[in-house]
Amino acid sequence: MQIASRHNVLDVGNMNDWQRKSPLDWETYVNKMVKVAAIERHEYEGWVLTVDPVSASIVLATFLENEKVSISVVLGHAVQEVEILKEGDDEMKQRLSCIFAPEESKAYSPEELEKRKNDLKTWLETNHIPVTEQGESGRTLCVAGVLTVDPPYGPEECSSSNEIILSRVQGLIQGYLEKQQLVDANA
Amino acid sequence: MPVPVPVGVLRLPRGPDGCSRGFSPASPRFQALLGGDAAAQGVRAALRQRYLRGLAAARGRPTRFCLRAGVRVDAVFGAADVEAVAFQVDALRTPLGVQAAALLRCTDVLAYSFLLD
Repeated sequence: MQIASRHNVLDVGNMNDWQRKSPLDWETYVNKMVKVAAIERHEYEGWVLTVDPVSASIVLATFLENEKVSISVVLGHAVQEVEILKEGDDEMKQRLSCIFAPEESKAYSPEELEKRKNDLKTWLETNHIPVTEQGESGRTLCVAGVLTVDPPYGPEECSSSNEIILSRVQGLIQGYLEKQQLVDANA
Repeated sequence: MPVPVPVGVLRLPRGPDGCSRGFSPASPRFQALLGGDAAAQGVRAALRQRYLRGLAAARGRPTRFCLRAGVRVDAVFGAADVEAVAFQVDALRTPLGVQAAALLRCTDVLAYSFLLD
């Protein structure tokens, strides 16, 4: 009886040159106009938004005439060559960074952010959820050592490698913010 | 009396420490995977976060997938898994009809694109 499978689930041995690059190499392509040559003679052009460090997939943005943005993702395994056509200026960098920004991340003043952070921290502490501050001048909240909340401290700014804790804390913060809005509306 | 059959011991890799997120550069897992280059880890996290925000933006949007051998299919983007094994899509239009929900293997997909307004 043959037990060992002949299939490689992870094709680690078949990685192409692009997939083998390090995050520091991929970062040099971000915010630049590139031409991606893919297998089966496909070609893609656009501004590089990011490169997924897990799959090496390139996310490209092209700006259309009707103010819409077309997003193309070329999967890492299909990438053969990436050629830089143009560097992005500061305006383009700003434009690109806004594309995937969460919708509610409107501009908050530093004082408002500080208040939001302290309110959330106090609320978590009164509910016996351990929370600490970390990062530069304690702008990131760390919940129970396994989840971080970045400014402006909404559910979309929660990061955790544990998706169960992530979804619970996101639910808590969502409920907290909805209650806050009711209080503000009545005040 | 029947002799109990010994059971093989399955050894799993050690998980992240109880008090860390598993990304701490000092953790054994990080050392084993990335060899302690904190700068590269910071860049990696930033790239990955933008990619995940992109996946969130794609959710529920009509998406065209370009598969191998020139096959193109339209579907509504649903989700992707952590290791980039498959994409979950809804309303996949195939030559045989519309499939309400389906998984597309990432190895079969060359590229996909969607519009943001």
